[in-house]
Amino acid sequence: MGLFGLDALLFRTPLYPSYLEPDSSTGQFELILHREQAAQAANGDNLIATLGNSRFAYAPRLANELTPQTGYVFRHAGVAGSDVRTWYYMLRDLDPAAERYRAIVFGVDDFADEDGLFNPNDDIRSLHYVIARLRWSDAWDFARSFDGRQLQWEAFRSALLKGLVYQADVRAFLSDPLKRIRYVQLCRQGYESWTYDYLETDRSLAGMEIDWSAWSVKFPPGVDQDQRDTVRNYLMRKAAPQVGRLAGYRRLWFGRILERYARSRTRIIFVRLARGPIRRPDNIIRTTSASIREFATRPNVLLCDEHAFDALERPELFKDGLHLNRAGIARFSPMLAEKISGMLGPWAKR
Amino acid sequence: MLFNTTQFFIFLGVVLALFYAAPRAWRRYILLVASYWFYGTWNPKFIALLLTLTAIDYTAGRWLEKISEPRRRKAVLILSLCANFGFLGFFKYYNFLGRNLAWLLGRPENAFWMDIVLPLGISFHTFQSISYVVDVYRGQQKAIRSPIDYALFICFFPQLVAGPIVRARYFFHDLLDWHAPSTDDVSRGLLLMTLGLTKKMAFADQFARIANGYFSNVAGNPGILTAWSGVFAFGLQIYFDFSGYTDMAIGMALLLGFHFPVNFRRPYLASSITDFWRRWHISLSSWLRDYLYIPLGGNRHGRWKTYRNLMLTMLLGGLWHGASWNFMIWGGYQGVLLSVERLVRGDRPAQDGWEDWLYPVRALATFGLALIGWVFFRAANLTESMAVLRQMFGRTPGHLLLEPWHWGLAAVSLVVALGEEKSEWLERLAKAPVLAYASGLAAMFFFLEMFGAFDAAIPFIYFQF
Repeated sequence: MGLFGLDALLFRTPLYPSYLEPDSSTGQFELILHREQAAQAANGDNLIATLGNSRFAYAPRLANELTPQTGYVFRHAGVAGSDVRTWYYMLRDLDPAAERYRAIVFGVDDFADEDGLFNPNDDIRSLHYVIARLRWSDAWDFARSFDGRQLQWEAFRSALLKGLVYQADVRAFLSDPLKRIRYVQLCRQGYESWTYDYLETDRSLAGMEIDWSAWSVKFPPGVDQDQRDTVRNYLMRKAAPQVGRLAGYRRLWFGRILERYARSRTRIIFVRLARGPIRRPDNIIRTTSASIREFATRPNVLLCDEHAFDALERPELFKDGLHLNRAGIARFSPMLAEKISGMLGPWAKR
Repeated sequence: MLFNTTQFFIFLGVVLALFYAAPRAWRRYILLVASYWFYGTWNPKFIALLLTLTAIDYTAGRWLEKISEPRRRKAVLILSLCANFGFLGFFKYYNFLGRNLAWLLGRPENAFWMDIVLPLGISFHTFQSISYVVDVYRGQQKAIRSPIDYALFICFFPQLVAGPIVRARYFFHDLLDWHAPSTDDVSRGLLLMTLGLTKKMAFADQFARIANGYFSNVAGNPGILTAWSGVFAFGLQIYFDFSGYTDMAIGMALLLGFHFPVNFRRPYLASSITDFWRRWHISLSSWLRDYLYIPLGGNRHGRWKTYRNLMLTMLLGGLWHGASWNFMIWGGYQGVLLSVERLVRGDRPAQDGWEDWLYPVRALATFGLALIGWVFFRAANLTESMAVLRQMFGRTPGHLLLEPWHWGLAAVSLVVALGEEKSEWLERLAKAPVLAYASGLAAMFFFLEMFGAFDAAIPFIYFQF
């Protein structure tokens, strides 16, 4: 009991989580959550929250240049490397009453469920993103959402004793507490403007060609190893056996989110992101389901036109095999704002 | 099955439940089966070896009690010792001797090499078994009638693989006149298990990362500070690792109603090398004293023979740890230090008092000398040991490998050790009111939670011996 008490005192109150390393997974997640909570206070009832991973790269500043016409304000609560399990816990604390936003927009790779080689259930990064959001009552359920026994145990014990996840952060904190405190304060002051005004790199893959029949790629000069790796590992990934793992995962976690918003006026919108700098041929993978399309039968769920952003699938608009570059973001942001505003209709005070 | 794993705690929970749920007459059988099962999880084949040694020494004990003629008694003792040292020698030292023989004969290094797996804990249970037979021979211990009881003495799981080396009289006193553990025993047992686990996972395993990093690439980590901090980390690792294991072993034995002697008494607070060996791995050093040093003549035959006996005892003590020249050198180094200390001190008793104003200097010097010894203990071979020593006493400054929180851990352990030395807080905590006791346990668990290395189960160092 004493151990749980000490753990709770430090890690279930803001006492320690306020001083998490801002560049850690948990620190990033918490910074974004608090930034968006602050944005809720500063804005009216015209907010649209977007959620996704680093592929959902758009600039809210550019999207909000259309606010005078659309009436909507876009806020991005996406976290690099995150997925729908983490978005569920993000939204649960960001929007406890499930009514704060006009719409919540999820950016996904595809409406169809393409299984990769990695089991999404067993992505332990989720634990590190959401640890500060987990409650005692989540421990069993959260742990059970992993398939591997070892991971289930790790998730379970960590949800009960958060210090097990925070220990590396605590040790780093103890190594130089003053430096950490100063950095946290700096981040608190500047995070909103750093992220809102952030400009993506203007590097691109312009000139890249892929011969899908020979499964070979010709890179333009000046492309670095990271860029090559993302193209080879993501864009030119081989088909994995389609066993329905992603479908199950999406049905579970999007299902929970949709359940929370079932009686809400908040619309849930799914957007298929630009798939890559070059489109993969359709015959590479034969998916067997499209869970996102299934969600569209629910009353408050909308699907954005799947091909709405196909025009962005060009090497000169991507910085690597996964992410849009500055020019891509500059084109995508207003497109997104227009598309979503169009789907929601003109803004009117509720 | 390592003590610091979930599987072990499940195993222990099941054993405790079965032990206390079963009728009294069944309990030793439960412990015996559990102990063999525990050993079998590592390598079931070597249970046969354990049984063979058990049968030999059990029979030797029984014969020694029946036979009265001194020559025949001696023959039985020698037979038993030959069997014990024979098995130990074959499994532990065959390849070492083979390598050296090949070198002497100018043959390839692996000319006599055999693929031999070292049975877990063989050095510990062999020494324990030998002490029993010698004690029976000397008339200091009655031969045990029940083979089950004797088998349990050899394979009792809390101390089977890494000690402490328990003398027969302590073990059978508890086994043959078994009493349910008192409340104090249970609280002390739980406290020791928690303390041991904390020592292992929060201290030893954290320092292990530094030490392993340094010793895996000595050439790539040059500099005085680098070398000293790498060796310092190993010094703390080996202490916390081994004393943590021992604390857990003593703690779980207490929960089962057995009382094992203390094996460590804050060795890094020792004020001399003599004092260090009274505090470090006490069950081994007292074994060496009783069954080697004293039979060799101890300090009874003049100064030079005392030095010779010290050297021989420590050399063999070093060799007990492992079959390599490094362990021999480590043992020899300890022997030289003990001899020099005795030479300087003369016949005066060792000054171990805290009150001595020179104590901090002497303790620091002893710690430094112990660290230098650990270089031979940890380095892969003699060449690497010399490379480390050259760095420790070189000219390049280097950098500290420890982060500030490592120093924090070291400082906490020093404060706790000083507190224990002065006021025996552990004993007092075990008998303290529930709230204070629970707070102590919670603090240890919290320390474990914050600093425990949970991502990898690092084996106990002494499991390899």
